[in-house]
Amino acid sequence: MQCRCYLPYLLFLWLTLTVLHPADSRAEEVLWFDSYDEAVDEAKRTGKPIFLEFRCEP
Amino acid sequence: MSEYVCVRITRMDDVDIGLFDYDRYNTLYFFLLNAEEHIYMRYGGRDSSSPNKYLNLDSLELALEQGLAIHRRYLSGDWLPSQRPKQLLPEEIPALVEQTTARGRCVECHLIGDLQNVQRERDGVLDKLSQMFRSPDIKRLGIELDIPKGLVVQVSRGAASVAGLLSGDRIVEFEGVPVWTFGDLQYAYDKVDRRANQVQLTIQRAMQHIDISITLPVRWWWTDLTYRQLTVDPRSYFKSSPLTPERKKTLGLDSLGFAGEVTNIDSVAQLLSLHTLSIGDIVFAVNGIGRDKVANTPELFIQLHTRAGDTLTLGVIRKGVRMLMTLKTARMSYRK
Repeated sequence: MQCRCYLPYLLFLWLTLTVLHPADSRAEEVLWFDSYDEAVDEAKRTGKPIFLEFRCEP
Repeated sequence: MSEYVCVRITRMDDVDIGLFDYDRYNTLYFFLLNAEEHIYMRYGGRDSSSPNKYLNLDSLELALEQGLAIHRRYLSGDWLPSQRPKQLLPEEIPALVEQTTARGRCVECHLIGDLQNVQRERDGVLDKLSQMFRSPDIKRLGIELDIPKGLVVQVSRGAASVAGLLSGDRIVEFEGVPVWTFGDLQYAYDKVDRRANQVQLTIQRAMQHIDISITLPVRWWWTDLTYRQLTVDPRSYFKSSPLTPERKKTLGLDSLGFAGEVTNIDSVAQLLSLHTLSIGDIVFAVNGIGRDKVANTPELFIQLHTRAGDTLTLGVIRKGVRMLMTLKTARMSYRK
């Protein structure tokens, strides 16, 4: 039971290290919305698609 | 990523879980969509062995590129969205409300996965084959992917190999649905009727698209549910190996029955005094039933046909002596 609780932390760490790690040439500054509705409004305003992440709260 | 509007959701309270349907036992799951809420693709998925087996930077980057390509097609009128699923909000599931919002608790994705099934069981509509045994494993078809390359097949064996799937093929459609990522593939596979005998794939080989039919192996939908901690899963805390027809005949058992020899006892069984089975025991009946259309082991029969918390009577052969034995199934709980 205990190790299940740490999974989100480990996965968040993985995402941070892989997607956003500064040493990776693919890393970039990303602005994350925490409101779905605001993200939809922003997508309408900019014409961009949405990258929606669901994850357990660490 | 900068070409997307990125949003991270950690509370599911107001999310349309009908639109954003996915196996809630994924700790991370992604959707690519447009402002009109037309979903382009999913990214995520897992198997019983690991929550992050299919999460990979290269395949994520590939998915993001493909998502942009679909978005350009959408903007030019060259991409038609599928029909929007019926809206479903967490507040519409009473069992979920009781355990979360009514107690001031967060509506976690795992709780949705669990309590949606609790509600279904209460309502008498729980289909365990599809709603408890969710997200079948493509490895049971003999498919292993070259994960960084998305849906490129690395190894094809078993049923997939017999059907003609080759290493290097790229899966582009599953049951007529376009698939771009493992998340798409696993979701489409999960939608297959558990009574189906075949699935249709379209693969890209060199510059050609080829349709193939894979004959589904028996119990193709089965996965190890241990990590799911499903409240509706009656845990029996033993594992058995199906007996051969010859062994059943020797023991005087039904040749078509689900009799199994106990190979593993979980220590939880002793701790909670759930049963007194020993390794080597033969379990040949549960509540007097020894044969099932689906189950090939007594523990699978228990999972499919009893409720968590039920007390059962097992027919057991121990050292050649037939006996009856009581087993109480356990009900799990996920951080409630």
